[in-house]
Amino acid sequence: MEPLERLLNLVGLLLETEHPMTFDEIRRTLPAYGGDNLDSAKRKFERDKDILREYGVPLEMAATDVWDVEQGYTISKDRYYLPEIAFTPEEVTALFVAAQSASEETVAARGVRKLLYGAEGGVLAGAESGPLVAGSDTRSARVLAAADAASARRRVRFGYRTSQGAVSDRVVDAYGVVFRGGHWYLVGLDEERDAVRAFRLSRYTTELEDVGEGSAPPEGFRAIDHVEAGPWQLSADDRALIASAPGTVVLVESTFPGVVRERTREDGWIVLAIPAADEQALAAMLLQFGADVEALEPPTLRDEVIRRLEASVHA
Amino acid sequence: MPERRRSATTAERLGRMLVIVPYLVQHPGTSLASAAEIFGVPREQLRRDLDLLFMSGLPPYGPGDLIDVDVDEDGGVWISMADHFARPLRLTRPEALAVYLRATELLATPGIPDAPALASALAKLRDALGPDTLGDAAGIEGAVTGSAPEHLDALRAAAAGLGRIRIDYTAASTGERSVREVEPEAVFASAGHWYVVAWDVAADGERLFRADRVSAVEETGDRFAPRGLEGAGRQLYTPRDQDLAVRLLLRPAARWVAEYYVTDDVVTRPDGTVEATLPARQTGWIAKLLLRLGPDADVLDPPELRAEISQIAAAALDRYSG
Repeated sequence: MEPLERLLNLVGLLLETEHPMTFDEIRRTLPAYGGDNLDSAKRKFERDKDILREYGVPLEMAATDVWDVEQGYTISKDRYYLPEIAFTPEEVTALFVAAQSASEETVAARGVRKLLYGAEGGVLAGAESGPLVAGSDTRSARVLAAADAASARRRVRFGYRTSQGAVSDRVVDAYGVVFRGGHWYLVGLDEERDAVRAFRLSRYTTELEDVGEGSAPPEGFRAIDHVEAGPWQLSADDRALIASAPGTVVLVESTFPGVVRERTREDGWIVLAIPAADEQALAAMLLQFGADVEALEPPTLRDEVIRRLEASVHA
Repeated sequence: MPERRRSATTAERLGRMLVIVPYLVQHPGTSLASAAEIFGVPREQLRRDLDLLFMSGLPPYGPGDLIDVDVDEDGGVWISMADHFARPLRLTRPEALAVYLRATELLATPGIPDAPALASALAKLRDALGPDTLGDAAGIEGAVTGSAPEHLDALRAAAAGLGRIRIDYTAASTGERSVREVEPEAVFASAGHWYVVAWDVAADGERLFRADRVSAVEETGDRFAPRGLEGAGRQLYTPRDQDLAVRLLLRPAARWVAEYYVTDDVVTRPDGTVEATLPARQTGWIAKLLLRLGPDADVLDPPELRAEISQIAAAALDRYSG
């Protein structure tokens, strides 16, 4: 008999049994564990139990009767069966497409396949459109570990390299994981600094190590508030004005989220408003467009750009 | 190790059956081919597994207790006597978290198709699985940055309909704007940006375009046969043999360059500075990048690049002299 057949029978048996079954009972009921050699049947059963657990089948041990004399095996229906979820066909399709990946098989894809059984109609239009997002695949194991820690309120330790290159060990109470600007961050309480920090997962120098129970975040905590948007951070108050050569305007717009075209100058250049909080960072970024961009306002930004250009001419 | 290998395969097949059988029970008559496609299993393998299912059931395993599997002449699969497998196994915690993370990432990417459906699916999933499986999922968040590229829908439509288009494109590496005829095959997002993989007709080669740098899309009316260009998962920059190698010294404030761009031979010096080589087809964009970095970076090689930086700085400074 093939092992798969034996396993399917075992799952069915333990799901349907009215009381927990001892190995002897299982052996008497399922011919696959029969035969003269008790030891080899037991070993087979042990291996099968491991396989069931590996796939998340909630195999439990419980007393076979109220006198608690013997322990037997059962599978709880409540813990085994996926609860009914009334997805619309559009929702199921969106999940299916979302979980598709360029790599062969992902944990997410395996999860979504379990959700398909309830899909009305069953046939998924749009499912052939191919994977939508690449990029985080290579790091998905680390993102998963971080999300696991945050959602279970664990304390984790890991090596971290700051954007400035300094490497150190961090111990953090994980509060949340945030995706922003193409990167995943773990947000949590940095024990040594006693402050909430965001750690970009691509800058970890080790894997995450679980070091125990963590603390709960304060009331009303939002992990997303602790991840900065970048040097051009959106701000309602601060606006910089720049002018761009017509041929460069597309590049400028694709660099600064939230940029708005104000008007076209007489020389054909386009004046743009950029929401900007950090003048230094913005000045540096504008230099990347060379002679095709001009800083206009505020005057301090203009002066900063000029200062940097002069330094580079004479370098 | 052969013993371990065999059991892993059996485990995978079991996991698959516990998910596929409920689908087939709920969707009677589904063709073998479409089930194989949806669940990513070779058709022959699925057929073999279903043949085994046929021999399993509930005690006392008489003919009337076994699961009945019938594959009709059109390839439709009909399963009965499988009430205990009519619903799939719950999602494991890693599976549920992985779905949640992936969907969160997509929802933070402006321009995603069917975003409302994905968002409501995610909410239903969270409510149904509850904290037992997902823990406190409230901490998993995505920030939507920027807006969808203006011509994303047109690019997607062209890729889906295999229509040749004319695009107005600004290349970041040269800063040049040009109109090109392209045959787009795939549109995908990576690290917060949308990309189009296309065949450039005039260049007679494969090119990768960033969707937000496309400033016009026009249909040509021609159709094309896809070449099977690689979409999501591809390298965004493919180094070539004839690339120039620019060697840079990066001080801590410029260290991000080694992370952000494709670099080779990255060496961290004892003082914390980093040496890295950037492969490039032309030096123009690197000169401008160095202008941005200012005193935080130095050119180690080629030395001529320093003069190029000064020239660009002088030209830019001219704009402010009037």
